[in-house]
Formats: sequence, structure tokens, C-alpha cells
Amino acid sequence: MPFTASPLVGGDAYEMAQRLALEVDAELSALSDAGEQLACLRRHWDAIAGLGWMATMVAEDAGGAGGDLSDVAALACGAGRGGLPLPIATACVVAPALLAAAGARDMLAQVAEGAARICVILPDAAQDPGATRLSFDRTLEGGVVGVETPPDPTHLLLATKAGELLLLSVDSPGITRSLSMRIDGRLAADWHFVGVAVAQEQVLARGIADQADRARDLGALITCVEGVSAMGAIIEQTIAFLSDRVQFNAPLASYQALRHRVAEMYVEYENLRGLVAHALREAAATDALPWRDIALAKLRLGEAGRLVAHETIQMHGGMGLTEGVAAIRLARRVMMAEFEFGDRSFQADRLLAQVA
Amino acid sequence: MEVDYEAFRREVTEFAQTRCPPEIRAVVATYRKLSRKIWQPWQQILHAHGWGAPSWPKQFGGTGWDPQQRHIFDEVMAENDCPPQYHHGLRHIGPVIIEFGTPEQQARFLPGILSGEDWWCQGYSEPGAGSDLASLRTAARREGDEYIVDGQKTWTSHAHESDWMYTLVRTSKEAKKQQGITMLLIPLNSPGITIRPIRTIDGWHHVNEVFLDNVRVPVANRIGEEGKGWTYGKFLLERERLGGANVAPALKNLERTRELVAQELAGETHRAKRAALELRLLLAEAELRGALALGKEAVAAVMEGRPLGLLPSVLKLSTSVTHQHVAEVAMDAVGERLAPRFRRIDGSGPNAEAPGIEWVQNYMYMRVRTIYGGSSEVQKNVIAKQLFGS
Ligand SMILES: Cc1cc2nc3c(=O)[nH]c(=O)nc-3n(C[C@H](O)[C@H](O)[C@H](O)COP(=O)(O)OP(=O)(O)OC[C@H]3O[C@@H](n4cnc5c(N)ncnc54)[C@H](O)[C@@H]3O)c2cc1C
Repeated sequence: MPFTASPLVGGDAYEMAQRLALEVDAELSALSDAGEQLACLRRHWDAIAGLGWMATMVAEDAGGAGGDLSDVAALACGAGRGGLPLPIATACVVAPALLAAAGARDMLAQVAEGAARICVILPDAAQDPGATRLSFDRTLEGGVVGVETPPDPTHLLLATKAGELLLLSVDSPGITRSLSMRIDGRLAADWHFVGVAVAQEQVLARGIADQADRARDLGALITCVEGVSAMGAIIEQTIAFLSDRVQFNAPLASYQALRHRVAEMYVEYENLRGLVAHALREAAATDALPWRDIALAKLRLGEAGRLVAHETIQMHGGMGLTEGVAAIRLARRVMMAEFEFGDRSFQADRLLAQVA
Repeated sequence: MEVDYEAFRREVTEFAQTRCPPEIRAVVATYRKLSRKIWQPWQQILHAHGWGAPSWPKQFGGTGWDPQQRHIFDEVMAENDCPPQYHHGLRHIGPVIIEFGTPEQQARFLPGILSGEDWWCQGYSEPGAGSDLASLRTAARREGDEYIVDGQKTWTSHAHESDWMYTLVRTSKEAKKQQGITMLLIPLNSPGITIRPIRTIDGWHHVNEVFLDNVRVPVANRIGEEGKGWTYGKFLLERERLGGANVAPALKNLERTRELVAQELAGETHRAKRAALELRLLLAEAELRGALALGKEAVAAVMEGRPLGLLPSVLKLSTSVTHQHVAEVAMDAVGERLAPRFRRIDGSGPNAEAPGIEWVQNYMYMRVRTIYGGSSEVQKNVIAKQLFGS
């Protein structure tokens, strides 16, 4: 029996998420028009909201399901196998964590029922070099780029470097945006702010820099879960491809050079899976988030994920350069994950600062 | 006659800097995808100057340069961001026609390649025949003065903007797969040909599927003898392998990536990341300097008529991987802000794409370096076979 990856967190939610992700992938890969892709993403966003994904971590008394991180991890695990191009980590953990930290119960309820579609801007969001720095002093100025967003966002939730948390309607005067698709087919927006007036009630909280860090780390952890899941699926699919493809009168799977490379992919995958499983357990066991484990896992995801992505491309030959192959679409998801919630050097900086 | 190589280098440099239009050099400098629209006018400029075919003998309209001069020419062009000449006519099928073509074929095809009027593509690979090219199945049967061709080619670069495809087809089923292969030149406007784009991960359109359904090709378009196509095809691929001797584009790429890292990660906040990426570039440079030296050895060997041995495989293997490493450094520098902006959805017009997005596309595209032109695994098999003597 060839390898089948076992999920970090299994169960019904995992199975359901996986089915959904594979369906969406099949549907999207048949579309080439950006407008149609957008509409498809919106439809499926509404579907997962209807299924209560975004309510998972929201407390019951705020209208949520009162679940824990492992419930979201099960969804991320399933979604990861199909590379579901929706912002799972942000929608299910980062936004709820920020809103909970600010005690914004009304908004949490809207998130839980899917009425609000929130684009979260964290303090370290990317900016173009030379562009006006993002600044907030009663009005908001500047811009951020390439921020992951749900389809048709209704709100911006912005955590500033100074520890404020702002909630703005996307239609507020002075806000413009442009929308892109990322290399993994998810949506991202560039936001530009010119003299955006922010009222007192739009500042949900102050002094929550630590909670914003924590929210980002939660996002990183869920991204690692998704990444591990995608890597497992990539390895399965690489094995299937090599077993089917015949060159020089023999299946590629019979060439030792390639078998060893798959073995290497597997070792990298297993090592990361172990680390992420550990971080998940630690996160469940203690109130303090195991940020160091998460930072190390995210660091490894950058290395191991890229190796697995590059190897599957290589072993697929020309097919590895096409969007038509599921394993390659997953490879792009894994490549993108490196740049979410802090890349390798971001994590390395924090880890080294602690040593120093 | 002794060639003054330094004077030659100066002459080529002056030409590159004054005659290659800035808009063409800008395309090369920013990694935008080269297409016929860019290549063709450049080829016309070179041709008008008598430099249309640096690697062809004089009697066919070539420059008659020796390998050292050709190497200098390629190097200078890359250093000055002039596009590498479109290779399918000049470097691939042209030399085959010169070596194995009839005088009629030479008169018919070579001038169009030289002037840039005829655009060629290579129809070798098939869905079932990649590394194992000899297992190709596209079949041609003889009917009077014509071959009737049926089958499918794939990964055909530039087929969508080409006039002609040189291709390998099966004309008989011999015990040994390499026998029974014939080389045909097929006009792409022939009835029965369908070209479909393949969507690649870099977001560029360069490869296609080419379907051939009862396509009639005059026997006069066959190169050499029926059943000898493998020999001609090999001749061509051998020449392709020499491409690795030109390390200048890789060095240029490295230099540009250094500038990117310095700009993108300027300032104190990014100091550690900048240092880490600079170190990776330094390691890449060391490899490239080695390759550069080997490239010079390869050129010297050709000048003296010595066999190249494993040099082309070594150069291809090492430079392809270094190219990828450099592209990864660039991706790490810009990925956070540009990988999310791969395809603009709203917003149109010429500036719709995020400036610098080519770095991301280039990173994706670079994965092909270890796959086409003899994959890394195939090259390693070649090297190992020779090293072990079996
Ligand atoms: C962008 C692009 C442009 C191209 N342009 C052209 C073109 O213009 N014309 C044309 O004819 N072709 C073109 N090609 C095709 C290219 O030459 C093939 O992709 C290449 O020959 C590999 O074949 P394949 O894709 O079928 O991979 P496969 O041969 O199926 O190989 C898959 C994997 O198995 C490995 N492998 C194969 N055999 C062995 C072995 N014996 N031992 C160990 N490992 C092995 C390979 O290295 C690779 O990693 C292009 C391809 C791409 C991606």
C-alpha cells in the first residue's frame, strides 16, 4: 500500500473540510475568468460561514461555538489537503482573537454568523519601499500591500504598531483598495489611506500589542497545520504520479534517484509534522501560547515546505510547471505560506533576540 | 589571420550599447517575458549589420566567427541586456539544415531565419515522450509526395507565434526505438493543426500543445533520410548543450538580485535578513565564478578541436541550480509584498501589474531550468555513466 498521510487532527470536521476543499479546487481550476473565480470564492466563503467555521473559536456567550484550537486545526487540516483558497487562519483564529482581546462582542457575533467579512491588517503588514509609511494619529495615512482578504470584505481590522485596534468600514471616506490573486489563488488587497478619519468608537482597544502578537502566532500555527497537510497530500500525489508515469520502459517510481528524493521529502514532512503536533498540544495545555515552538515550526515550514514544493515540481517534469496538476497547486500554496504571519527571517529575528 | 579579441569585444560592446533599442533592453533588464515582438526587430537589426547568425559559416550568411568570438559576442550581449537571439532557428534547426539539408532547403529556409521573417519552434516532446524522447509516437505515413502526420506534441515553446515547427515523427516501428524516426519541417498554418496554450505557474504564456490531425507535409520538407531523424535531432541537442558555457546572463542576474536586496531591505530593521540573503548570493557567486572558468575551458577546447567530454553536462547542472538559488533569494526579498499580488483582478491598463512582479514570475519560471534541455536527473545519469565507465 502506498503512503497515505494521516491528519494532525482527524474526525468529521476534518473529513468535511477536505471534501469541501477538493470540490472548490475542482471548480476553480475549471475557471479562467477572474470574475468567475471571485464569484466562486464568495459562494464558498458564504458556505463555510453557513457551516459555522468562523464561529468555531468564538465564545458561546458571544454567539459562537466555544470550540478550541484543535477544532480549527481539524478544519485547517482538511482544507489544507485541497489548498482551499480562503483565509482560514485569519477568519477562524486571528480576527476572533483580536476582537475577543478588545471585548468587541457585537462584532464577534457578526463574525460568527458570517455577516462581517474582515480583512485583518497586522502591525508588520507589508508596505512598498518608498511608499508613505502607515501612520495613525486620529487620521490614518499611508498604505499596506498584499494583505490576505476574504472576498468582498466589509471591514478592516487594523492592529497598529502602537497597540491600538481599529475597526473601519471598507467604504470609509479616504480608503481605496486594489485586489489581486496571490500565487496560491487566494485573494489579497492593497489598501491606501488618505486622511481617513477614525472616530473614538472605531478604536476598539488600546495597549493590545501583546495580544496582536499572540493573534499572529495563532495564525502562524494554523498556517503550519495547513502546510503540513498540504505537504502530506503532495507526497501522496508525487508517489502516484511516479508510479503511473513510464519513461525508458519503466515506471519512474522504479528509479532509485527519484525514490530517494521522495524519501527525503517524507523525512522533512515527518519532522515538521512532529513539531507542529507538539506545538498544537502545548497550545492546548497551557494558557500562554508556546510562541517559541510556533516560531520554530514556522521557520521549518519555510525550509521543509519549499523543499517539498520544489521536489514535486521537479519530479513532475514539464507537468510540474503547469497549473493543471493538483500537487502543483498545493506546492504554490506551500510556497506562499512562507510569507504569511512572519517569514523565516522574521521568526529567526525573534528567536535570536531571545538568545541575545 | 590573427583575431584581436580585445578589439572585437570593444566593437561588439559599442554595437550593443548604441544599436539595441532601450525599450528592448528594458524588457530584458526587468525579466519580462521575451516574445517574437521583442526578438524579431532585434534580429532585423543584427541582420542588417551582418551579424544575423554568429554561429553560421560565411557562405550561408553567417559571420564565420570562431568559438572565442561567438563566446565574447554572447557575453557582451548579456552584459548589456540585449536579448539572447531567438534560438530555435539560428541555433537549432539552422545548423541542421546547413549540415544535412538539400541546397533547395538551404535556399528556402536559411534566409528567413537570418532576417527574422520566419519563426520556428521545436516539436519534439510528446505527452508520453519527455526524457525518453525516443519513445515518441506521432506517426507519419508516406502517400505519394507527401507524409500524412498524426499525433500530438506538447510543451512546444512559442508555437503560438511561430510559422514553422521542426519535428521528429515515427515513420516505422523498428526494434530499436531510435530507428524509424524522421525529421520533418511543418508549416504551422497547415490544415489539421490545432495549437492550445498550456497554463504555466509563472503566469506567462510560452508553451503549447500542438495537435496534428492528418496533416499533409511535402516529402521535400524532410531533413536528410527517412529513419535517420534521431541522428539529426541529437546533433541539434548537442549544440543546445553548449549554451551552458555562457554564464554571463547568470552573473547579470546575480548582480541585479544584489541590487534588489540592497534596495528592498535597506535600513536597520532589515539588517539581519539582508546579511542572510547577501551570504546566499555570495555562495551563488562562487559557484558561478567556477562555472565561468569552466565555460572558458569549454570554449578553449572547442577552439583547439578537443572533445568537450562532460563539460556541457557539468555546466548545465551547476548553472541551472545556481540560477534557481538566485531566484529564490529574490523571492525571499520581495515575496511578502509581491507574491500576494500575482494577478491583478480589478484595475486594468498597462500599469495594472504590481511593479516588480516579474521577480515572482521569474522564481516560478526558473524551476524549469532543471527540467528542460536534459533534466538534472538525466544529466547526472550521463555523468555517472562516464565516471563509472559503465
Ligand atoms: C517551459 C518548458 C518549455 C519547453 N519547451 C519545449 C520545446 O520547445 N520543445 C520540446 O520539444 N520540448 C519542450 N519542453 C519539454 C522538455 O524538454 C521536457 O519537459 C523534458 O524533456 C522532460 O520531459 P517530461 O516533462 O516528460 O518529464 P519526464 O521525462 O516524465 O520526467 C519526470 C521526472 O523524472 C525524471 N526522470 C526521467 N527519467 C529518469 C531516469 N531514468 N532516472 C531518474 N530520473 C528520471 C526527470 O528528471 C523528471 O524529474 C519544454 C518544457 C517546459 C517545461
